[in-house]
Amino acid sequence: MTSEVRMSEGEVTERVRPQGASQSQSSDASEVATPLGVIVTEGMSVYYGKFRAVADVSLSFATNEISALIGPSGCGKSTVLRSLNRMNDLVPGARVEGSVRYHGDEIYHEDVDPVEVRRKIGMVFQKPNPFPKSIFENISWGAKVNGFKGNKSEMSDLVQEALESAALWDEVKDKLNESGYSLSGGQQQRLCIARAIATKPDVILMDEPASALDPIATLRIEELMLDLKNDYSIIIVTHNMQQAARVSDRTAFFNVKLNDQGMRTGRLVEYTETSQLFTSPKVQETEDYITGRFG
Amino acid sequence: MSTRIELQEKDYSDLFPVGEDLQSQIGGRRRREGLARILFMVVLIVAISALATLLYTIINAAFGMTAIINTVEPDTIVADVGHDPEETGLADLTYDELVVVLEGSVTNNVGRRLERDQRFYEDRFVFENEATWSEICASSQPPTGCDAAPRDKSNVLQLVNERVVEPDVVKTWELIPSLFEREAIEAEIRSEEFQAANPGARPEFRAWLNWQFVTSPQSPNPETAGVRTAILGSLWVIALTVLFAFPVGVGAAIYLEEFARPNRLNQMIQTNINNLAGVPSIIYGMLGLAILVRVLEPITSGSFLGEGGSATENGRTIISAGLTLGLLILPVVIIASQEALRAVPNSMRAAGLALGATKWQTIRKHILPAAMPGVLTGSILATARALGETAPLVVVGASTFIITDPSGPFSKFTVLPIQIFQWTSRPQDEFRNIAAAAILVLLILLIVMNATAVFLRNRYSRSN
Repeated sequence: MTSEVRMSEGEVTERVRPQGASQSQSSDASEVATPLGVIVTEGMSVYYGKFRAVADVSLSFATNEISALIGPSGCGKSTVLRSLNRMNDLVPGARVEGSVRYHGDEIYHEDVDPVEVRRKIGMVFQKPNPFPKSIFENISWGAKVNGFKGNKSEMSDLVQEALESAALWDEVKDKLNESGYSLSGGQQQRLCIARAIATKPDVILMDEPASALDPIATLRIEELMLDLKNDYSIIIVTHNMQQAARVSDRTAFFNVKLNDQGMRTGRLVEYTETSQLFTSPKVQETEDYITGRFG
Repeated sequence: MSTRIELQEKDYSDLFPVGEDLQSQIGGRRRREGLARILFMVVLIVAISALATLLYTIINAAFGMTAIINTVEPDTIVADVGHDPEETGLADLTYDELVVVLEGSVTNNVGRRLERDQRFYEDRFVFENEATWSEICASSQPPTGCDAAPRDKSNVLQLVNERVVEPDVVKTWELIPSLFEREAIEAEIRSEEFQAANPGARPEFRAWLNWQFVTSPQSPNPETAGVRTAILGSLWVIALTVLFAFPVGVGAAIYLEEFARPNRLNQMIQTNINNLAGVPSIIYGMLGLAILVRVLEPITSGSFLGEGGSATENGRTIISAGLTLGLLILPVVIIASQEALRAVPNSMRAAGLALGATKWQTIRKHILPAAMPGVLTGSILATARALGETAPLVVVGASTFIITDPSGPFSKFTVLPIQIFQWTSRPQDEFRNIAAAAILVLLILLIVMNATAVFLRNRYSRSN
């Protein structure tokens, strides 16, 4: 695997060659030129206690793009996602090795406060999890805890703006004081997205954001993601390959490998532009997966 | 369509019962369910009848017929001050007349003590004289009468009832016979035999639990004794218990549940807390005696604030009792709060943290409010237990006879359970009646407290 990072002021690019590809095909064609990503991992491994859940992941997520992580259950894609804003710190015994850089800064450096990381890298979860508070408070709280300087009316503007960006404003503008739980599942998920937007993050991580929703609500979330891409970098984990194909610019395929002791460890197989991954994958494993031969 | 028919025709009788077998198999399962249901219902009935029996016994003793002898008949008193007993009752006498009656009946010593508790007139003395009065009021421990406002009429009327009329209950009956055999009881009291043994005895239905019982202080005769001191003592002690155990318990639970890493030390602490919840309450009493009453005496007696006289100063005060009971219920509060915090889904923690909030901000605003109903339920149950505790307070040193109301955390005190315990161990029948009345007071106090707490909890969960 070769990956070189040039930190020059001018055209900053990074060449990442997927690991799997380097074994099967080592021609220059497998190298994909990507702009230096907003988040870059190098040789990242995640451990839960002694168990290595994901090994040796090197990825670069580009600014204002949607990157999708796909793969069979247990391949560690959610683990990778949660490692990108230190949400794995919540899991006792979780540990990350290797490098995860956000705009060039190591987020696992001991001087870095995870609160600061999460403030810049927001997250939307699989199951909608609004707070048991009013719709307004659901959105204003994130801004409040992060020291929002505006007055009351500016806060109202912020809430409205966030709800508009999440395409929810028209549905809830007359009931901002009702509980977030009074909304339908799809609306709750958009409320969670609005909540994440309101703190003005840089990157939004989405962990299977539509898996608990019906097809129509799913479609709305996907449209929303395409809108949001202009302002935010989005990384999404999904089980739904059509979804990845529909919304993402780049896709990373993860797979499970059994080691000698029978431990299941997730590995990055292939990471490239979505159109390429779904039409002409470089690795046989990827092709097997996307054509439905396993997984 | 074809597959369905095929499936139905397929024979699974070697795997599962079919036809008649299936009916009898389901029947057997149903019968076992019915048996279980009846069993649980019987258990419930047993529990309810046990509680009903308890309540029945208490109420039976708290109300009933009595045979009463007045030492001095009220009619005689009224006649003595020059009114016609046919037209005027004791309560119709004026304040001055009542004081005169009292002055003529009690000894000078008793009178002086009454006057020192509370004066009769602002401008003159009935039993005391000016010189002694100014002398004792200038002493280091002036009696309450020096500052308090003079007595009012109902107060003096009560004194006349207690000290002059002095009703004496010679025999009591329980509620059930009093209701259904009232005439037989009255006939018995009026019989010559009974009158010979108890001259002047008359029947009277008496509710031992009455307003006078609730508002009077402790007294050596059961007819005039009350539970005011004990109620106030219980409220003071419980208030301090809650003030100590609730914040400390919830705080410890938050630390253990949200911040502590699962290392050996924290696991040890957790195990110890679980075990402490089962330690007999008397052990806590001994702890309270050793630490709070003895070692911390300068603090718990209040002498560090300059309260209390040196002669009476010791650590057997409300604050010692409150803290002892606080320690007693602390493990229960911690465990209940931990359970409540654990029941809050992790997704809520993740939601808060993912917004860039700190752990504490998330806990403060979302986790704790969501856990509050559970925390309150556990704490209410624990507080109810503390309200009924007797053993640790006996050890810590609750007074069994005290007539002055507690005035603060450094007062001597008694509590309702101690009062009940003390009364039930007296030989006279009437004390058992007032013990029953005091139990009812305790039960009512518990119900009121729980209802308030449940109301608060429901409002809390609705506002979320």
